[in-house]
Amino acid sequence: MTTVRVGRRRTKTKYALTVLAFLLPSAIPLLLFVLGPMVAALWVSLTKWNLLSPAQFVGLDNYVKLLSDPTTGAVFLHTLYYIAGYLPLVYIGGLALALALNTALKGRAFLRGIYFLPVVTSWIVVALVWRWLLSPSTGIVNVVLGWIGIHGPGWWTDPAWAMPSIILASSWKDLGFVMVILLAGLQAIPTDMYDAAKVDGAGWWRRLFSVTLPLLSPSTFFVIVISLINGFQVFDQVYAMTGGGPNGASEVVVEQIYDLTFRYGRAGDASALSWMLFIVILAVTLIQVRGQRRWVNYG
Amino acid sequence: MSTRRLVLFILLHVVIIVGAIVMFFPFLWTIITSITPGASLTSTPALIPANPSLGAYGRLFTERPFGQVILNSILLAAITTVVQLVTSSTAAYAFSRLPFRGRTLVFGLYLATMMIPLQVLIVPLFVELKTFGLIDSYLGALLPTFASAFGIFLLRQAINQVPVELDEAATLDGAGHFRTFWSIIVPNIRPALATLVVFSFMSSWNSFLWPLIVLRSPELQTLPIALAGLQGQYISDWDVIMAGSVVSVLPILAIYIFAQRYVVQGVASSGIK
Amino acid sequence: MNRKILAAIGVVGVAALAMTGCASNSGSTSGKVTITYSNFISNGGNEANLAKIVTAFEKANPNITVKVKTLPYASYDEAQQTDLAAGTSADVFDIDGASNYGVYEENGVLAPLTSVPSSLYNKALLDTYATGGKQYGLPTSFSDVVLFYNKDLFDKAGVSYPTSSWTWKDETAAALKLTDQAAGVWGDHQPVTYNEFYKTLVQNGASFLNKAGTKVAFNTPAGLAAAKWLVDKSGTTMPTIADGQGTADFDTNLFKAGKLAMLHTGIWEFGAFADTPANWDIAEEPGSTQHANAVFSNGIGVSATSKNKDAAEKWAIYMSSSTEMVNVRLDSGWELPTISDTKKLNTYLDKGKPTHRQVVFDAAKTIAPAPSIGDNQSAMQDDITNELIEAQAGRETVQQALDNAEQKINALLKQ
Repeated sequence: MTTVRVGRRRTKTKYALTVLAFLLPSAIPLLLFVLGPMVAALWVSLTKWNLLSPAQFVGLDNYVKLLSDPTTGAVFLHTLYYIAGYLPLVYIGGLALALALNTALKGRAFLRGIYFLPVVTSWIVVALVWRWLLSPSTGIVNVVLGWIGIHGPGWWTDPAWAMPSIILASSWKDLGFVMVILLAGLQAIPTDMYDAAKVDGAGWWRRLFSVTLPLLSPSTFFVIVISLINGFQVFDQVYAMTGGGPNGASEVVVEQIYDLTFRYGRAGDASALSWMLFIVILAVTLIQVRGQRRWVNYG
Repeated sequence: MSTRRLVLFILLHVVIIVGAIVMFFPFLWTIITSITPGASLTSTPALIPANPSLGAYGRLFTERPFGQVILNSILLAAITTVVQLVTSSTAAYAFSRLPFRGRTLVFGLYLATMMIPLQVLIVPLFVELKTFGLIDSYLGALLPTFASAFGIFLLRQAINQVPVELDEAATLDGAGHFRTFWSIIVPNIRPALATLVVFSFMSSWNSFLWPLIVLRSPELQTLPIALAGLQGQYISDWDVIMAGSVVSVLPILAIYIFAQRYVVQGVASSGIK
Repeated sequence: MNRKILAAIGVVGVAALAMTGCASNSGSTSGKVTITYSNFISNGGNEANLAKIVTAFEKANPNITVKVKTLPYASYDEAQQTDLAAGTSADVFDIDGASNYGVYEENGVLAPLTSVPSSLYNKALLDTYATGGKQYGLPTSFSDVVLFYNKDLFDKAGVSYPTSSWTWKDETAAALKLTDQAAGVWGDHQPVTYNEFYKTLVQNGASFLNKAGTKVAFNTPAGLAAAKWLVDKSGTTMPTIADGQGTADFDTNLFKAGKLAMLHTGIWEFGAFADTPANWDIAEEPGSTQHANAVFSNGIGVSATSKNKDAAEKWAIYMSSSTEMVNVRLDSGWELPTISDTKKLNTYLDKGKPTHRQVVFDAAKTIAPAPSIGDNQSAMQDDITNELIEAQAGRETVQQALDNAEQKINALLKQ
């Protein structure tokens, strides 16, 4: 009797050790470099600290200060502006491309390859290349606009055009990504659904809105969730293209976190802003996951 | 084919092809600029350069340590990739094949870390790695990239597709979990592993914010950091900046062309539930 | 495949071990030490001159090697601050003026220097790098901003050259005559920045902060006129932001291309302009009610965490007072050394273009002091620059820009 129990306990322990062995390689980095720092950020956010002299505990002061600072509102607003410009552009553009490439088009794979090229390019390259394309006086875009009699704007040198410039460059990079996701979604839609709609006499637009889009909703949902999460974290292309300027016109949340920490020596404020950003991302994602039941059709 | 459909068919081709040209043009312009000596803020390069020169590329390697920078990028991307393969596949195996109490919760926690971008962790991570004395070292740049929630998610999907009967047959032959994992699961999820390889490599190759903070010495820096630095150093020498861009895109482009199937599959499958 | 993966993992393991090893290799072996020096002063044309000084130092101190890291001025402060916070600072590093010295000293990142040959230095400048009777930094150079002008363009337009009796009015009148937009020629260029603004305020009898340094003092009629002097050139005698104005190098490239008649910039450009075909010279900047000039001093300091403080201090002293350094600077027309023996500087006056080098010394007689507010210095500078640019681009009136800047900076001063 006893030996059996000991044996069972031993196998149980052995099993637990096996599970641990499989989980630890990933759990240790996640604990040490994601969850731990997350908690640490909460502590830093309660201090005044320039990373040089010792930190001073200041309670919730940083949060109070940030909430009353108009810059905080501005950086969130700029981030939303980015998302509001970028998301419709890549979604509608990506959908149009996916629909076109989902037909019997010659050289489809090649064309898909071309549209996908920018996706593998780094944000820094994208930012530098577009900074050059959109250079106000000698950039090719304004030169071409000049040929047809349009005086091009100052793009990234003009506060009104800085964010549109970033949106344009970002959309160029991500169009292919969205296209491939939607294309996969389209290919998963059974053709008999279209045949049935055709028999009912539905035209192309009718079929788009009553068959394609509803059945594509899981892919659409994915594109929106990913775009929002990435959109709130936008940094690389802003840093390299405008540095948040001119006069902070394109300063986004993460750029502000970076500047506060390494330019203005305000690591406490930066951590408080980090937590605010995290809560926003969490809330937006949860709202979407909750809301998806209303419109996402998993057929 | 009716005339109307033919017109539509041609129109569609024209739009898609013109679109592709527009999409490709920035790359072309980058190459043209890079071989136009003296391309600057005061003149626009010609579509066909009058005196093409590779001088800008030469400056990258003589005036700046671009040779070393490329090696750094390759080293970091390779290590990240291999480590992520190990951490992702083992975790994925546990979440797919090893039931334990609270597994759903732990898996949920793992996925939740996808929502915590590194961007919001820069201050504490910086302080943590400073305490470990790892700022300005390759290891400091690498450690935060060692586990990837995306990779775990991707491989778990793949392992779920492997028939359980295969495991059971192995267990009957006396194989433990490690043997089963290594000789049954790993060979059966090769396409997913390949996808992860490409993704890990790409994301490391292109990653910017963390290396920017942690790699302080010029000789440790990776391509995106060196590129962003070019902009400060060669403010109006667009030929040099564009040459740097070409150099940093070429390797990843080569990988993409060889592994296009896996890249596209990876993106596509991540979008389908 | 399995074997390949195993091999790859092995490689990674070895590499990881190797990496932890190479993270810190700045120790000393057999009495030889390597020190690092992080600088911005040689960036953009003076790299070879710095290399000459390094070579001379290494020859004089065979057991010390200096490893130089050069950064663009625009990103230097941010990089140095990050390095200090990370504990990865170079042993010796540039200090961008007295206000940055204050921030560094307060945070204890500078090592006190113990063997400074004080008599070699200009006393006033040396004192700006001392606190509580201890020397925490050394001045390496001083420079001022003067009015560069293209003689050819002046001759062509039949305008007489700038003199020290010029005021803003004379400059404007000349600039209008010199501007020929059709030919792409501009009359004037002055950056719209904090560094120009605090000086123009003094030129017009105003000041940036009140005497106690507790509040902004520029939002007055005299301050408004000074801001307008900066902002209103854009579009009439100076290119607009849309033309590319404001991007780094834009103004100097325009001047080098012979398309700019007058340029307000620092004497550190002498070397860069030496090869331009145009005939050019310098004059003291015109004032409004009085002359006032921006004088910048760069400093050098030793990191408090340096492992080789003695060697580091030796280099810091060499870089700021040695004869070799003085000679290289004078020969190349780099910024001027801050030595007490001004007779040594005499040769500077006849080292070629520009002819009127005396202006460099004349300008240093009437200094507009730079406001210094400690921790929030960069934030303050960014705030005023950004608001002035808003006004320059016409998105705000100049008065609105000053109102906004006053509000923001007063808030910073309260912290």
